[in-house]
Amino acid sequence: VAEVSRRLRQCIPGTNLALRDVPIWLAGMLFVIIWGAPFVWMVSTSFKPSAQVMTKTIEWIPRDWTLANYQKVLSQYPIGTWALNSVIVAVVSTGLCVFFGALAGYALARLHFPGRQLIFLIFLGSMMIPPEVGVVPLFIAFLRLGWASTYQGLILPTIANVLSVYIFRQFFLSFPKELEEAAIVDGAGAFKIFFKVAWPLARSPMIASTVIIFTLNWNNFLWPLLITFDEDMKTLPVGIAAFAPVVGSHTQLEGYAVAMAAVTLLCIPSIVLFLVLQRQFIQGITIGSVKG
Amino acid sequence: MPKAMNERGITINSASPQPLGRSRIDWIGYVFIGFFAVPFLLFNVMPILFGVYVSFTEWSIIGEPKFIGFQNYWEALQDEWLRRAFLNVVLYALIIVPGVVVLGLFSALFVHQKWPLSALARTILFTPNVVSATVIGLVWVWLLDTQFGLLNHYLGLVGISAVPWLTSVQWSLFGVSIASVWWDLGLAFVLLLAALQDVPRELYEAAEIDGAGRVTQLRFVTLPHLRPTISMVVTLQIIATMRIFSQVYVMTNGGPAGSSLSVIVHIYQKAVVQNLLGYASAVSVLLFIAIVAVTLFQRLLLREMPRG
Repeated sequence: VAEVSRRLRQCIPGTNLALRDVPIWLAGMLFVIIWGAPFVWMVSTSFKPSAQVMTKTIEWIPRDWTLANYQKVLSQYPIGTWALNSVIVAVVSTGLCVFFGALAGYALARLHFPGRQLIFLIFLGSMMIPPEVGVVPLFIAFLRLGWASTYQGLILPTIANVLSVYIFRQFFLSFPKELEEAAIVDGAGAFKIFFKVAWPLARSPMIASTVIIFTLNWNNFLWPLLITFDEDMKTLPVGIAAFAPVVGSHTQLEGYAVAMAAVTLLCIPSIVLFLVLQRQFIQGITIGSVKG
Repeated sequence: MPKAMNERGITINSASPQPLGRSRIDWIGYVFIGFFAVPFLLFNVMPILFGVYVSFTEWSIIGEPKFIGFQNYWEALQDEWLRRAFLNVVLYALIIVPGVVVLGLFSALFVHQKWPLSALARTILFTPNVVSATVIGLVWVWLLDTQFGLLNHYLGLVGISAVPWLTSVQWSLFGVSIASVWWDLGLAFVLLLAALQDVPRELYEAAEIDGAGRVTQLRFVTLPHLRPTISMVVTLQIIATMRIFSQVYVMTNGGPAGSSLSVIVHIYQKAVVQNLLGYASAVSVLLFIAIVAVTLFQRLLLREMPRG
């Protein structure tokens, strides 16, 4: 018995998986496979000819592969225009948010002025307020300003995301003082120090806040849904939402294959960005969420 | 206070940094802050204050606001749909929060073992978190399709007859919850995984020498260390669930017959479909109060609890 239990505790060569843990490992991997399955099903459906989608048997791998659904989605719906809108909105919003956040985060961590802690606490406290609370009044104000279905209407409310301030402040708190001191001796002002010394060295918070805020903006739903009335000014998530049977009639007309082609296109940018910058992404999320 | 909390928690009372240059006060700091603070005040703070004002008015998109005092709030109290929505949000939380926290905890414990393919497992478990509500909603509308959906197909293989996940009053809220758990798991998972990595190795080694088995270690070493993170994850997930909107909008639009209606879906319908902007603002204020109350209650509860 002792011999068997010793054997069971031994790792399978080349891994740290003990023999007795194999059942747990298999169960865990089964769960992981189930978790990934919806994506596989989405992609698989998107390549099926529409006659092979609503079937009584489950075909994980399409019998016949076709690009017809993608062609249909790209030619019959203004996906290109929506994508362009999404790119413009997400890039401009994210760029401004990261840059302004870096300036504010730097000041909160490195500069000395009255009210500094209070301002930080206000920023931090505002993270507790759900953005949806301000959405209706903002909607009224933007309608009055004539900013419905405009880029400024889509972009402006998303600029001030406190997450970027927070990520940069955390980084600059542990920024070595010596680096700044050399510049101070040279008589450089705060802005010069920021642009010459701090900003170029702030690569990691820059990447972390950029990937997270870009993804948030790319996926943003409620605000673009409210503020865009013109089909041509919709962003991708809002435009493609019309494929949902309760929202629009595209799916009744085209079937699920076209809808799956549309959502596959929609999720490619954020998934690719996540896969490439996974470490920074998760790091940033962890820093951002742990706020006390 | 546990160490894990200190290391990644906020440092508000950090030592004051040395002022730059000769002046004792860096007045330029206000300019640095200003770039962010102006849009912050205009688009984050002002709308909330403005919203409180709007909630006391009767206002449709065209025309001027008319001050009507507490009438919107009075109406909200009698609004059956709103009561339904608040009740649904509680039901959503009762399904989604335990689902996310328990599955997130098991996932984190599993990936933390660093067994073969754990990096792949981590990626797959987190990925749903980075896609938009439209993707979540549409993929799950298809998976949960009564007649041809994948889930009902496999349930059929074990003898369970087709469940009308999204088209029936009994099941719609549950159907949306399944998709929400799939969407939200990633965040809880990575936060718990990060916390697991902060548990000192020596504690496990000591426990092993004392002859503690795996379950005992989990109970007396791991879980006490994870406690602050678990309660944070619970708080975050409760708030996220109270704000549930996009996946509901895409999957059921609150139906059928309000069975999956959430508070924000109700706000959206009042504001956009019925043009009752004053009323919608009043409901927003009520939701805000509810969220603040839940947050404060959680904090209080945590303070009362002895720390492990």
